[in-house]
Amino acid sequence: MTPDVAEGSALLKERVTFALFDRAARTVKFLLPIAALLLVWEGAVRAGLAESNILPAPSMVIARAIELLDVTNPAGGMLLTHIATSLYRALSAFAFAVLVAIPLGFLLGLSGTVYRWVSPVISLLLPLPAVAWTPILLVAFGQGDVTIITVCFLGAVFPVLYSTIQGVRSVSRQSVWVVRSMGANFGDIFVRVMLPATLPALMSGLKLGMAHAWRTLVAAEMLAALSSGLGYMIFAARSYMDVPTMFVGIVCLAVIGMLIEHFLFVPLENATTRKWEGAIHVGGRR
Amino acid sequence: MSADATILAPVRSRPDIRRLSLSIARPLISIGTVFLVWEVAARAGWINAFLFPPPSAIAATLWQELLSGELLQHIGRSLYRLLTGMALAVVFGTLIGIAIGMTAWGRAIFKPLISAFMPVPTLAWTPVLLLLVGINDRTTIIVVFIAAAFEVIYTVVSGIEGMSVRLFWVARSMGASRQQIFWKIILPGIMPYLITGIRLGSGYAWRALIAAEMLAASSYGLGFMIFDASEYMTMEVIYGGILLIAIFGYVIENVIVGRLEAATVEKWGVQVAR
Repeated sequence: MTPDVAEGSALLKERVTFALFDRAARTVKFLLPIAALLLVWEGAVRAGLAESNILPAPSMVIARAIELLDVTNPAGGMLLTHIATSLYRALSAFAFAVLVAIPLGFLLGLSGTVYRWVSPVISLLLPLPAVAWTPILLVAFGQGDVTIITVCFLGAVFPVLYSTIQGVRSVSRQSVWVVRSMGANFGDIFVRVMLPATLPALMSGLKLGMAHAWRTLVAAEMLAALSSGLGYMIFAARSYMDVPTMFVGIVCLAVIGMLIEHFLFVPLENATTRKWEGAIHVGGRR
Repeated sequence: MSADATILAPVRSRPDIRRLSLSIARPLISIGTVFLVWEVAARAGWINAFLFPPPSAIAATLWQELLSGELLQHIGRSLYRLLTGMALAVVFGTLIGIAIGMTAWGRAIFKPLISAFMPVPTLAWTPVLLLLVGINDRTTIIVVFIAAAFEVIYTVVSGIEGMSVRLFWVARSMGASRQQIFWKIILPGIMPYLITGIRLGSGYAWRALIAAEMLAASSYGLGFMIFDASEYMTMEVIYGGILLIAIFGYVIENVIVGRLEAATVEKWGVQVAR
């Protein structure tokens, strides 16, 4: 018995180390081209092939990032403020969008008549970039948080609305009929059939909505921010020809966008759609 | 309760002609109603007529701008930037997509780079581009290119991955050269996917273009027009511009490329699932 177990555990250990090694190798392989690009860039700037005041070397960008992160430095140290402001704006716009779009989406999805009459208006508004509303909001509210949050809201609300409608409309009639024939009332149908069946579409809508809010935010902050925000930081750096700060901002935007998706939506999906995975296909396939 | 009415009601069969005419009339009626209510509300003073000028005034301003030739300049310049950027995105996107789909080195080099660059909001590049290439058409064209290229690459790669390996086996067993395989198998094979990529990409590109025109306001373009108008507070021009942006966006994405997509899907019998 004992040798067997020992052998098994050795095998397991070997497998685990192999998996770890495999994963490390893949990570290295993944990072290699990125590192190579950065090295070539750095080398080109050092060798004088590219002008460092227009295309700064990665080392200069890192140095600037450290400078901007240093809270004790009264002149620099603004990066965290910019990030906090941007996050506040994007998340509040997203929250408003969810509060408006999901109830509206259920209403439009459940009622065929309303949907048929309203959908032309939605399909006219859908291809419209949210940023296009900025001039009107600038005239109405001036520069500042109201304009920025409204633009982000408009960017986020349509993807969420659209996916919610599609999700609700794709709920199969049969499953509603079955539950109804067994005597379920409207509340039961909603909680036990509609909601689980709509969740996958709803989740992808939320993910898309947040991505749109974050992407719209940059443009909105460039156009309408008064004093802070990552978009403002990037755009203001242009006046000082401060390219390293721009690249710091670009990297922050990309990394935060990825972190939001990873730490907000992956757990959310695990908690909702994965849990109801079995329920999703009720009546859908058969 | 409306749920019960729609989901549980028996399916009624209407005459086809009536349904067809209703499907055409319905958008006109619903959008027309919105404008009519807006018009009446603005005229009657229920809403601020400065912030919400009546649609008739917007139409009149657009007509004037059209007669003066300004409007056509704006539209023409925006479309020129969109087309140039899209053309670049299609050419380079297809090449990179094929490199990723067909070769090991292409996958090893481009996949990590794309996943590093993809999360960056396209418009964040605008200030950098403004410094690198200056305030001119090239900045906006590059923004359009960036916005559309990722979508094109993505669809081309998934097109190649979706292709049957047997196609290559058959071609090679009959002695096809690499070039022949490229022109006769890969290119026709990815075409339907490419068109889907162009449709999605042109939607993103149009959105990015308008914002880039507002930021890199050089001289003409619909985005420039509405942003410039906000400084003079001419609301009619802003609303007119927004309306045109929405209409052009819809027509480009759903009518022009959408028809093309439907035609190719019909011809080649491929359904691209996204």
